[in-house]
Amino acid sequence: MSGKHGEKGKSIWGKLREFLYGLAMHEAALVAIQKKAHFEHLFMLITMGNLLGVPIVPHYYTLRLLPYAVPRLAGWKRYMLREKDLTDKADFG
Amino acid sequence: MNAIIVLILGFVVAFIGYRVYARYIDVNVIKADPKKATPAKMYMDGVEFMPTSRNILYGYQFKSIAGAGPIIGPIIAIQWGWLPALLWILLGAFFIGWVHDYASAMIAMRHEGASFGGLSHRLISPRARVILLSFIYFYLLLIAGAFGNVVVSTAIGLKASPMAWLLLTIAGVLAGQMIYRWKQDIILTTVVTVAISLFGIALGSWVPSNAVLGDALANSRWLWAICAFVFCYFAAVLPIWRFALPINYVAAYIVFFGLFFGIIGIILKAPNFTLPAITTFSIPIGPLWPIMFVTIACGAISGWHSIVSSSGTARQLESEVDARPVGAGVMFLEMMLAVFALIIAGTIFTSAADYAAAIKLGPAGVFAKGVGQFLNVLGLPLDVATSYGSVMMIFLAITIMQLVIRFMRVATSELLSDVSPVFRNAHVGTVIASILGLVLVMTGWWQYLWVLFGGANQLMASLALLLISAWMVSEGRPVAWAFYPMLFMFVTTIAALLYTSYNLLVVKVLSGAVKGEALIGNTFMGVVALFLVVAALILAWEGYKAFRRFRAARGEAAPSKA
Repeated sequence: MSGKHGEKGKSIWGKLREFLYGLAMHEAALVAIQKKAHFEHLFMLITMGNLLGVPIVPHYYTLRLLPYAVPRLAGWKRYMLREKDLTDKADFG
Repeated sequence: MNAIIVLILGFVVAFIGYRVYARYIDVNVIKADPKKATPAKMYMDGVEFMPTSRNILYGYQFKSIAGAGPIIGPIIAIQWGWLPALLWILLGAFFIGWVHDYASAMIAMRHEGASFGGLSHRLISPRARVILLSFIYFYLLLIAGAFGNVVVSTAIGLKASPMAWLLLTIAGVLAGQMIYRWKQDIILTTVVTVAISLFGIALGSWVPSNAVLGDALANSRWLWAICAFVFCYFAAVLPIWRFALPINYVAAYIVFFGLFFGIIGIILKAPNFTLPAITTFSIPIGPLWPIMFVTIACGAISGWHSIVSSSGTARQLESEVDARPVGAGVMFLEMMLAVFALIIAGTIFTSAADYAAAIKLGPAGVFAKGVGQFLNVLGLPLDVATSYGSVMMIFLAITIMQLVIRFMRVATSELLSDVSPVFRNAHVGTVIASILGLVLVMTGWWQYLWVLFGGANQLMASLALLLISAWMVSEGRPVAWAFYPMLFMFVTTIAALLYTSYNLLVVKVLSGAVKGEALIGNTFMGVVALFLVVAALILAWEGYKAFRRFRAARGEAAPSKA
């Protein structure tokens, strides 16, 4: 969703289209992404939980899956361990 | 005064505020750096932290902050005269509103995307966070009460709106099913569901609620209040994609079509203000200072924006320099929406007596009549255009209300789950929130309820400005641009809440002036107002201690630097 060529490369219609997308669809897209991420995080917790001190499956399976999980590990751990409060859970849709 | 002059004045204030004042603070005080990595880039997880184009965020921020607030506030506040209301909208947005929205996004960005709870813990004290989160619960309750009242009074006063509400619900659920389950094309989904909603507006005009339900039921506050909270119950317990989100999506088109064409109607008609510029200092809900400053919250300054800016937008900004167009720019756009509402209320009545008769029934009737007149200029029949206005108002209110009840359900779980695990249950949290909201709607006088909602909103804004000031002091940067607005908002809002709670508890309850339902409503609202004042004072004291701590720390650090 990030502009590839920067703001200067966009026409006025391009900017207007993005504005309308933000107005109408962005929240819906965020919800779909969050829904997908929720299941991914659940899968990571089940398979890699022992990295956070929550062992769920035997280490053997964790080690077998580890190479596939490496690209996502940092982001997942930050998401799981970041302190969250009430205002993080607000829906602004 | 002609409405076009007022619109031009609004544009001039927005232009100077955005291009001169906001730019100065952005470049010289905050020193926004386009090369600095934002949390969206540093912590990109594709979920909460995601770099997004500023044009998209401009639309997202506007949709998230602009609801019924900037419309209803000015319509009520014109009772003091349109001039004080206009001055507060323009000056409030110029000196306070954009400062609050922009700096809320910047403070979150400079603290790794932390939310306000985390920031108050870090910058002020651990106690500040607990109080802030409890405060937010009551703030949400007052939003639910105030907007619930708008829904009920609109459904009773404008009989076309319930049918449109019903068809919007059907269209929204269908939109969710088409987008997320049937994977249909978004344009097809939008065309079908918006067409169903527009048909609902026309159907409401042809078949008003009293023709279907009879006069007794169509005028029953209980019926519409229960309908509103049952609607919110589904919004709170169902997955957001199933109910709340697609309904808001469809409603957004109806509302923005109305606003867009309404503004064109104003420009074409160019009406003159017919209501007096200034009426009197004191009106039945209270004196101009401090009550008017909380009656108009959104449009001038609103605490809700700080939650959206910090927890939502700040985590998506791809560059620090985007905070000014998204934070400050959108606030000025909302200011123009409030000016639009003021023009509606100030120009459509032939006399002050006409307005007084209309406002007694609630602000929805005033708005609907105004939108009707301005859409009529574009050729839409007056009765359908007025129905359209009433539907816009009910959509604006119910879409915010459902999100608030959903948020309260989460808040109940967060705040009370340590007391008993039963509060973790989504149904329990939703029922508690709905019952409290229902009590407010059924027993509170709507004008007091609106003032209390505005007061809580402005207090939330004061607390955000307190955090921003503490941040500025902690970094040894100029603080006056945030500190004086904070001081003004704090003093004004606490005075407004104390005045209102005194009126409710001493003048009405203790003197025995009210009985029955009104007794419950007045007592409840008065106690909530007192709670907000106490919470705000504790936070102010904690903030003061934090200021002293930061100043002392900088005083100790200074000699070693030299």
